[in-house]
Parts: sequence; C-alpha cells; structure tokens
Amino acid sequence: MSPAAALPYNTLVVAAAVAAVGFAAGVVGCFGVLRRRALVGDAASHATLAGVVSAFLLTGRRDLPTLLAGAFVAALAGLAALVAIRRFTRTRDDAATAIVLGVSFGLGIALLSGLSARGVAGAGGLEQFLMGHTAALTSADAIALAGVSAAAVLVVWLALKEATLVAFDPAFAAACGWPVPLLDYALVALVAVMVVVGLPAAGAVLVTALVVIPPVAARQWTDRVAPMLLLAGTLGLVAALGGVAASALVPRLPTGPTIVLAAAALFAVSFFFAPERGWLARRRMLRDVARRIAAGTLTPDEDHADG
Amino acid sequence: MSAVGAPALELHDVTVAYGRRPVLWNVDLTVTAPGLFGIIGPNGAGKSTLLKAALGLVPLAGGSVRLFGRPLAAVRERIGYVPQRETVDWDFPVSVMDVVLMGTYARLGWFRRPGVAERETARAALERVGLADLAGRQIGRLSGGQQQRVFLARALAQAADLYFLDEPMAGVDVRSQERIFGVLDDLRRQGRLVIVVHHDLRTAADWFDGVALVDMRLVAAGPTATVLTPENLRRTYAGHLDVLDELGRAVQRGGRTS
Repeated sequence: MSPAAALPYNTLVVAAAVAAVGFAAGVVGCFGVLRRRALVGDAASHATLAGVVSAFLLTGRRDLPTLLAGAFVAALAGLAALVAIRRFTRTRDDAATAIVLGVSFGLGIALLSGLSARGVAGAGGLEQFLMGHTAALTSADAIALAGVSAAAVLVVWLALKEATLVAFDPAFAAACGWPVPLLDYALVALVAVMVVVGLPAAGAVLVTALVVIPPVAARQWTDRVAPMLLLAGTLGLVAALGGVAASALVPRLPTGPTIVLAAAALFAVSFFFAPERGWLARRRMLRDVARRIAAGTLTPDEDHADG
Repeated sequence: MSAVGAPALELHDVTVAYGRRPVLWNVDLTVTAPGLFGIIGPNGAGKSTLLKAALGLVPLAGGSVRLFGRPLAAVRERIGYVPQRETVDWDFPVSVMDVVLMGTYARLGWFRRPGVAERETARAALERVGLADLAGRQIGRLSGGQQQRVFLARALAQAADLYFLDEPMAGVDVRSQERIFGVLDDLRRQGRLVIVVHHDLRTAADWFDGVALVDMRLVAAGPTATVLTPENLRRTYAGHLDVLDELGRAVQRGGRTS
C-alpha cells in the first residue's frame, strides 16, 4: 500500500490543487520578472488582505469564493492606485509601489485587528489569509483554485508570442501596432489573479514570493523563454508541495513560510550550481580565463573578433 | 493603397513636449522614397523624438504626420523600426532567431505562431546581415555590432517600405558599420526610404542622399551637399558645442567612431 493511500482524500485534493497553483504562479510570474514588474505582484498581494476583510464585513459571508472575490477587487484597486500615483504625481515606480504596499497592508491589518478586538462573530480564521493555511481548504475550493490556475497557464500559453514581444521590446511592439498598454494591463491582471489564487496557500505577505522566486531561479538554468516558463512552473509546484507537506506534518505551522523557504532553497541551488550562470560556473570560468592569460594561450574569440 | 506620388514621410508643423519642456518645435519635413536620409543634430536636439513622433510612439502636442500620404495606422505594415540598442535588456532569454522572428509577428496577428515561412524570412534576414551562423545564440553573447545587426535583421523581416533607424551606428565597430551601411544601401536601391538618426558628422556626408539638421527646430533639410554647410552646422550646434570642435574630433577619430 502506498503512503499516499493512507492520507485522507481531502488532503490529497488540496495538495494537488496547491501544486497546480504553484505551477501557474511560477509560469505567470515569469513575465512579471521579465518585464521588470516583479514588485507589482507585491503591491497587489499586500492589498488583498483589506479585500478579504472588507468582503466579510460587507457580505457577512466567509466562504472562499466571496473572500477571494474581495481580494481580487482589492488587488486591482491597489494596482489602479499604483498607476494613478505614477501618472499624476510623477512618483517613481519603487516609491509608488512602497506607498501602495504599505498603505493597503496597513488598512488590511487595521480592519482585521478591529474585527478581532470587537469579537465579531465568525471573523475567526480570516487571519489565516495573512500567512496561508491550506489545511482549512475544502476539496471543492481547492478544485476551483486549480481550475483558475489552469486557465491562467492557458492564457499565457496562448499569448506567449505577444507577451514575450512586449516584455522584451515594448517600443518595437508599439511601433508594430500591438496594444502595449493593454497587454501590460492584462499581464498585471494575470499576476493579480495568481496572487489571489495563491492567497489561501501562501498568505498575503508571502504569496508574491511564489510569482517571483521560481522565475528568477528558472532563469539561471535556461536562455529561452518557453523552457524558463516550464521550469519556473515546476519549481513553483515543488515548492508548493514542500510547503503543504511540511505544514501537514507539523501542526499549526502555516503553509506560506514553508512554501517560501522551499522556494528559497531551490533558488539557492540554482544560484550556486546552474551551469554557465551559476556562481560556481562563473568562478570556474574566470579562473580558467586568468590561467590562460597567464599561460599566454588565450586567443580572441572568433565571433567577437568579427564584431 | 497609398496616394499616388505621395511622399513617404511628411511631418507637418510637428511639436512634441515632455511635460512642459518642448523637445520638437514646429517641424515641417517631407522626404520622398527612395533614399537614405540622415537626421543629424547635437545630443538632446530631439532627433530620436522626431522618429518616435513619426512612429506614433510619443503624443504630438501639435501638427500631423502622414506616411505615404496616409495616417500611420493605415500603413503600419509598411513601416520598419530599429530602436536604440540600449533600450532593451540583452540578458533577456531569447535567441538571435527569436528576436528576428519578432519582425514577422505583426503580419502573423494575434496568437498565431511563426511557422516555416516566417523562419525562412528570418533566416534570409540574418544572411543579409551576416549572422546566419549565430541564429541559436542567446542575444547577450553577441558584441555590440552584432546586436545592432540583429535589430536590423528584425527590421528586414518586417519587409517594410519605409525604415526608421535610431542611432544604428552607435557603439558599433567599423566592420559592422560597413555591413549595416551595405544593407541600407541595398534597401535604397530597391526603392525604399531609410531614415537614420545619426550622430557622426564625418560619415554623414558619405552615406546620406539627404539630411535634416535638427536642434529642437528644423534648421535645414534637403540634399546632403547643399545642407551640410559650415553655416548650417554652426546654427545647429551653436548652443551646444563648437561645431569646429565637433568636426575636429570627428576627423581625429579617423576610421573609428565612438
């Protein structure tokens, strides 16, 4: 009998769904990183907490679809605020991101603390969206999260050509007539979707790591976009499964931090050991060049001599 | 269909401002195909902005642009563009072939992937710039001149009638410069109009049939021999750098360019 058979059905469904979320977050996150918009996901994710709490306050319901709908609206509101601040105040990207991130997260924490201080009935458990807690997921919710993740991956695959073009050279894309702002908004909205879908697993503070760390780690191993997407998805999947397993084994351990730590471990391996781009490979190459210069055997590379 | 006999490029009274600062002021410029046409002026004179205005990449504060007698949106497929090399991240995970294929994307339209015909177009473009054997290489592992030729190959893959190139010779070794110039010369002979933002006065006289001297305003435009006069150059560079100094340094550079 396999060990998996000993686990309850719900645990298996949740684990599979979180794995799908991790995969999709890694894939979608690649274009955030390649377009140099990695921090956009951060602003969106911190805004989600206020959305979760507001959705509960407004509807009195605490089912996952309601709360995540609130999170999505808040994420978009945060992103709209980001665009508005940049556009109308000439504040730079990093500062605008910090403002939106700080203010929206402060609002979320204030709402959450206000709820618990007043002992509002049924508010318990909302704080799980802070750090992520997959054990609380029902299998129906988990399947819905996996479905949205699959749709996000499908969209990226469909628009792979357009997304790559805009991420690499937006000026050329615009000159060719592609609607660059529209594609940018679609990309950011997709990141927001993944941030919201990843919320139950990783929590508002850490979910952004799911859309940033796997793509950065994947870039170490490959020089092409499609393999990078596939690898980032796989790394995200592995990290998500690692987080779920750890929090299933250790009671009360939130899933978010373990997912992020698992992702960080994968990143560390990629950083040190990747061929060519890895730290060790670069060191070896530099030493090799130094040795050849000392020995006088280094000749200019032919294609570089060709200019 | 373009209006018969309409000039390839027509800027009428074009004014562009970044914030409150005007960078181009009442520029009137008409250029007809075929030809190799240089846009020349000091740093910050608005040369690149002029290209971007023609391509619809910056909003016009005033004036209008017509290409082949029609608005840009109607003739986009006939326009090729080579942006400045520093505007993109060369560490981006794409190969030389991937970048050149991007020139075929507009014709492909939404969601369709490049196929055999597009790869053939891209390969032919790479042959023309002499980079066919580097098609599979990641673009960061090229020299500056090779990177510039990749951008040129991408523009060739656009199969356009009117090309805009923004500083294609900046930071490029002599061999690549000659190769690039050879390709542009071929385009001219095939009846195309090639508009080049250029910073090197010394080579300008050799390369271009016509030039426009720009220093926020259009100082002069027309056939190279009649426009590149000491008096016009002095007026173009007056507020920036002594033109004699600039020319002197250009001569000192000899075969090299910065």
